[in-house]
Amino acid sequence: MEVASKKSTFKWDSKIPTGPLTEKWKTHKNNIKLVNPSNKRKYNIIVVGTGLAGASAAASLGELGYNVKAFCIQDSARRAHSIAAQGGINAAKNYANDGDSVWRLFYDTIKGGDYRSREANVYRLAEVSNSIIDQCVAQGVPFARDYGGMLVNRSFGGAQLSRTFYARGQTGQQLLLGAYSSLMKTIKSGKVKMFTREEMLDLVTVDGVSKGIISRNLVTGKINRHAADAVLLCTGGYGNVFYLSTNAKNSNVTAAWRCYRKGALFGNPSFTQIHPTCIPVSGEYQSKLTLMSESLRNDGRVWVPKAKNDKRHPNDIPEDERDYYLERIYPSFGNLVPRDVASRNAKNVCDEGRGVGPSGLAVYLDFRDAIKRDSEQAIRERYGNLFEMYEKITDENPYKVPMRIYPAVHYTMGGLWVDYNLMTTVPGLFALGEANFSDHGANRLGASALMQGLADGYFVIPYTVGDYLSGITPGDVNTDHEAFDQAEKAIVGEIEKLLNIKGEKTILDFHRQLGKIMWDKVGMSRDEKGLNEAIAEISALRKEFWENVFVPGEPATYNKYLEYAMRVADFIELGELMARDALARPESCGGHFREESKTPEGEAKRDDENYAYVSAWEFKGVDTPPVHHEEPLVFENVKLTQRSYK
Amino acid sequence: MSTHDLITVHLKVWRQNGPNDRGHFEDYTLKDITTHMSFLEMLDVLNENLMKEKKTPVEFDHDCREGICGSCNLVINGIPHGPQMRTAACQLHMRHFKDNETITIEPWRAKAFPIIKDLVVDRNAFDRIMEAGGYVTMATGNAPDANAVPISKVEADSAMDYAVCIGCGACVASCPNSSASLFTGAKIAQLAKLPQGAPERKKRVIAMVEQMEKEGFGDCSNYGECEAVCPVGISISAIATMRTEYVKALF
Amino acid sequence: MASFSNLLQTTVGRKILTGVTGIFLILFLVAHLAGNLTLFAGDGGEAFNLYAVFLHDLGPLLWIAELGLIILFGLHAYIGIKIYLGKKKARPVDYTYYQSQGGPSKQTFASKTMLISGMVILLFVILHVLHFKYNFFMPQMMVDNPAGGQMIDLAGHVEQAFLNPWIMLAYTAVMLLIGLHLKHGVWSAFISLGAKNPKLVPVLYTVGGIVAALLAVGFLIIPVFIFFNGGLL
Repeated sequence: MEVASKKSTFKWDSKIPTGPLTEKWKTHKNNIKLVNPSNKRKYNIIVVGTGLAGASAAASLGELGYNVKAFCIQDSARRAHSIAAQGGINAAKNYANDGDSVWRLFYDTIKGGDYRSREANVYRLAEVSNSIIDQCVAQGVPFARDYGGMLVNRSFGGAQLSRTFYARGQTGQQLLLGAYSSLMKTIKSGKVKMFTREEMLDLVTVDGVSKGIISRNLVTGKINRHAADAVLLCTGGYGNVFYLSTNAKNSNVTAAWRCYRKGALFGNPSFTQIHPTCIPVSGEYQSKLTLMSESLRNDGRVWVPKAKNDKRHPNDIPEDERDYYLERIYPSFGNLVPRDVASRNAKNVCDEGRGVGPSGLAVYLDFRDAIKRDSEQAIRERYGNLFEMYEKITDENPYKVPMRIYPAVHYTMGGLWVDYNLMTTVPGLFALGEANFSDHGANRLGASALMQGLADGYFVIPYTVGDYLSGITPGDVNTDHEAFDQAEKAIVGEIEKLLNIKGEKTILDFHRQLGKIMWDKVGMSRDEKGLNEAIAEISALRKEFWENVFVPGEPATYNKYLEYAMRVADFIELGELMARDALARPESCGGHFREESKTPEGEAKRDDENYAYVSAWEFKGVDTPPVHHEEPLVFENVKLTQRSYK
Repeated sequence: MSTHDLITVHLKVWRQNGPNDRGHFEDYTLKDITTHMSFLEMLDVLNENLMKEKKTPVEFDHDCREGICGSCNLVINGIPHGPQMRTAACQLHMRHFKDNETITIEPWRAKAFPIIKDLVVDRNAFDRIMEAGGYVTMATGNAPDANAVPISKVEADSAMDYAVCIGCGACVASCPNSSASLFTGAKIAQLAKLPQGAPERKKRVIAMVEQMEKEGFGDCSNYGECEAVCPVGISISAIATMRTEYVKALF
Repeated sequence: MASFSNLLQTTVGRKILTGVTGIFLILFLVAHLAGNLTLFAGDGGEAFNLYAVFLHDLGPLLWIAELGLIILFGLHAYIGIKIYLGKKKARPVDYTYYQSQGGPSKQTFASKTMLISGMVILLFVILHVLHFKYNFFMPQMMVDNPAGGQMIDLAGHVEQAFLNPWIMLAYTAVMLLIGLHLKHGVWSAFISLGAKNPKLVPVLYTVGGIVAALLAVGFLIIPVFIFFNGGLL
């Protein structure tokens, strides 16, 4: 099968500033063009999505004086899925006096990403991390503090330093509410206009340049046109392509996908993070997976029975018949190995038939020894709310019976390809936060997603968007332009088509089917045969979808299943691209594990000589294979090493 | 290992075609519902069944399904978010219902939360209350170092107790008077506990309270029902704090 | 802008006024009870009658106090009625099925009947004043003042009234109702006037209950005692 079309002569430039790594961002800020304060009000900017990246960007740009229109699909900007992040946010403050620095945060992040991200971007991220904490505290985010009134940090995700700031188990919520409050303030001042329950369905381009969007009012079903000088996509990740994930039910790829179809390259689509500690699937009806914070691995021990198909109650399995496999395989890191390693090993033991629980797709996370060592009270103080949540969902008491956990799709490192200015290959279209192909390479470290979303929104885009805007005439295209006519007509046609199929299968049937293909063949471990099968199966599923889906209701009303149908249609196309991307990268790196590329002990084996690049895909039509581009990654400051946690 | 029990439930679901429709209850019976299902997953099953019969599914708001986004707004058997305390409807599981139980499902009901369709309501009034003053006025970039102002652990923890509000509106839905005092009070109390909130505390409380009034929420009679149904258990002391802030603002 | 003049315009302002007027009314009840308890002095009601004379002799000061009480009472009742009427406005379509979650909820018989208990109390107060101040239902009686001359025999008036089983029962019932009103009212006033510590909230509820019970029992013990004792000590 043809994975990709022939390479085209697409012109692109990552715009990484020259000069030493530590000076690049400063130099860049000094050199980029500015928009005169009195001219800012002439520019219209659209921000799609109000999560950490979107809310922070919209608020900051409004403060600068731009006219901002912000969009979210939820009934309030505050409900974006950033709200669900539990653990914390990293910063190089070195408040813990343990030797942290911008350099160390940079180094850990680029190494954690298995050397598949840009040095310059990651360094900038580490550099602005400290300002984020200052900003959030000033907004009234109640981070954890000590009795003396100073901020406290914890170590997270196996980091050797304590650099994670947190607000109980609800850090994402508190950061988002901080950004949301700034957004509300800017709305009050009249500089931002908020559109809730309004979904972006297409990007409008004129001569290949982004000039606005087409949106659908989710209450009335009305299709609306919005013209703007720049469009910022802050629409999050696409983990729901797997159907079951820790994402919110409404998280989707549609806005990003439509931009891809309008010419924005899609970077590293197959890079998916599978989080090791989620509550296992309990039945076919399951609609989403719930994450249990990674911090649990600080005290819980992961094990499965040594024997296959051991159906005994976990408390009846004697010590010498238990396999604490992470401690056995990785004596130095033990239960604290990075997410990708922990996930893959859970899959391996379950594949061997040693999984536990009714489905056999789970491993134990046992607190027995920690309770014995530190007392139940101590464990309750540390994880009480998580244990409570676990019991609510599973009806099992984790103080008495080991938790059962299994990996689940959690975050997508892939996304729209952007240059150093966060601009996609469509001029005027920017992507921020999880929606871009991001600074996390092939694997994201814990507590760095919040950092990146806010870095992009508060401290990068306010500078870089001006650089673009200063070079264009504001308001040169309005919504009467024929490009808007065409885009609107296409959307109206698509909706009509979907509603008129009136097939036999529900949207959920298709989504589940897609999810199963993705999980089985484009999931935690991938091989050529499976990926080829996945491409063929997804392509067949796409055809069936457009012939046999049932979409209920009317176009011009509130109709959640119509929204859902459009999103699943895009997920199906995306799934195929993900499989192609995974196929085009025969090495293993980070969360991307190819069976063909492993060390004799079965660990992931990178191939830096041939694959130290970002894959970026160019849309060529639904039935035509996309074009594969490579952006070589140049490492001048870090030495590429094989990650080892033995 | 807990077992999967299968139960039959009879649903009485509020159906309303739009804001101006009168609305009515419709009865549905679902068989073989496993008790490990969440309440929303049970509604998914209902909708799948309806669509297989080519009928219009029941609209309800949901998103994160882990109790933090605040989208769900179901009044289940007369109680917002249902019978389990400190639990949003999405975290409620079917094991809390008996075989053959009749379950009534209604949307939040308040003038300030008009119904959009079926169980979906418009909660933008909450956003407007926040817009009135639920923030610290500071522009991006001009923050001092995060440790420049110490905040005692006690105060920070107390602020966090109020900051955890998920904005679902169950407080309004449960209140016999449809008051939004717990929601508004929680934000005011959070910022009142923190030095960052101090400079504009007077302006904030007045603006937010006046906006609450404009939106058509009712009076607070200290029934405390809001605290009982709050999925994150925010204390009614938030309302007391709002009032003391208001009194301070008078002088 | 917030000002004292538009306290009535916001829910928070109204509740603060309810709390403040409520507290003053409770203080009035305490003073009233203290005066009433002089009936137990064992002097056939002389101390009580002298106390009445003392109040009467305050002249203009008494009128001011009375006017103040009327305003407190009126405002308290006005806001209560306004809140009640606002319910329907804030929820035009009611739930078909509604129940309380229990737990920390203070939705009790007491809190749900505030309007009714309040209205009965209002009615009672009018009758009570007509009864003992304006002698609507009984002729005024006089007795010798130890300081010389005569004084109104209010104690005798009270004694005579409560020997009537119906009046005794009616007063007792109303006092119980006042207790019920205060069971929610005292706690509510604390919350309205800024009991900010979440840990205090349940404590205050208990304290409120105790205050309510003490006041109710303190008042109703007089008619009950007089009736069963066959008169004053």
